[in-house]
Amino acid sequence: MKKKDIYTLGLLIILTFLTALFSTNFNTFRYVTIIILVLSALKFLLVAFNFMDLKHANPFWKVLIITYLVFFVGIISLIL
Amino acid sequence: MEAIKIDYKNIYYPPGGILIWILIFLELITFGIALIVLVINSSKEPEIFHQSRLALNATFGALNTIFLLTSGFFMATTVHQFKLKNSKKASFYLNLTMLGGLLFLILKGIEYYLKINTGHTIGYNSFFTFYWLLTGFHVIHVIVGLVILLFMKNGIKKSKSLLEDVEASAAFWHMCDLIWLLLFPTLYLIF
Repeated sequence: MKKKDIYTLGLLIILTFLTALFSTNFNTFRYVTIIILVLSALKFLLVAFNFMDLKHANPFWKVLIITYLVFFVGIISLIL
Repeated sequence: MEAIKIDYKNIYYPPGGILIWILIFLELITFGIALIVLVINSSKEPEIFHQSRLALNATFGALNTIFLLTSGFFMATTVHQFKLKNSKKASFYLNLTMLGGLLFLILKGIEYYLKINTGHTIGYNSFFTFYWLLTGFHVIHVIVGLVILLFMKNGIKKSKSLLEDVEASAAFWHMCDLIWLLLFPTLYLIF
């Protein structure tokens, strides 16, 4: 068991609770929606880079996944 | 113990292989477009989407997130142990990975059962049409992932699995996490 993976899991669980906390307590504010999306995007990157080992991959794949996330979060934030 | 090494810096060999990553991006784009269409629809019926979102159980959603993330952690550990040529430990962590997937499916089943009982079926309104289709397709991915992991477990047991197979199966399993990490906030939290 890698220590790095244990820390990643801990961080992912903390971010999940933070996301739920923001959603249940402050969901009337528009900027909270953006915070929730950004926190989820962070979790997405943690899984892709640490669990899927993308951090060791060619920069092309890293840029591709970050570009996808920026587009996804950006478009949803603009529509909401 | 000496670990197996692969040159991941090669553009044609991301962890798991290029084919699984093409599939992952196609899946992410498909789910991404569906979620964007969902959000566009929400701007036409904001009150219906807000009330429907409140009808979902965010605690179930958060718990399922934790099940999948923990399962993903065990999957990463399985691959690590396999690289160290420790088949017994790899098999043990693979069992824990599958347990996480099963817990996800059980909780999702309970959630579906409760939704059907309260009448929130696929035709209830446009939010629930998206909810059932998106989470339903995701559940199918999790089931397919579990079947792949079962084959992988058998391969590890008989020492037939190659690192490429294990990494590709792991990448598919992690893809289920990635899709859920997009579905959970969009369906359960933001409206």
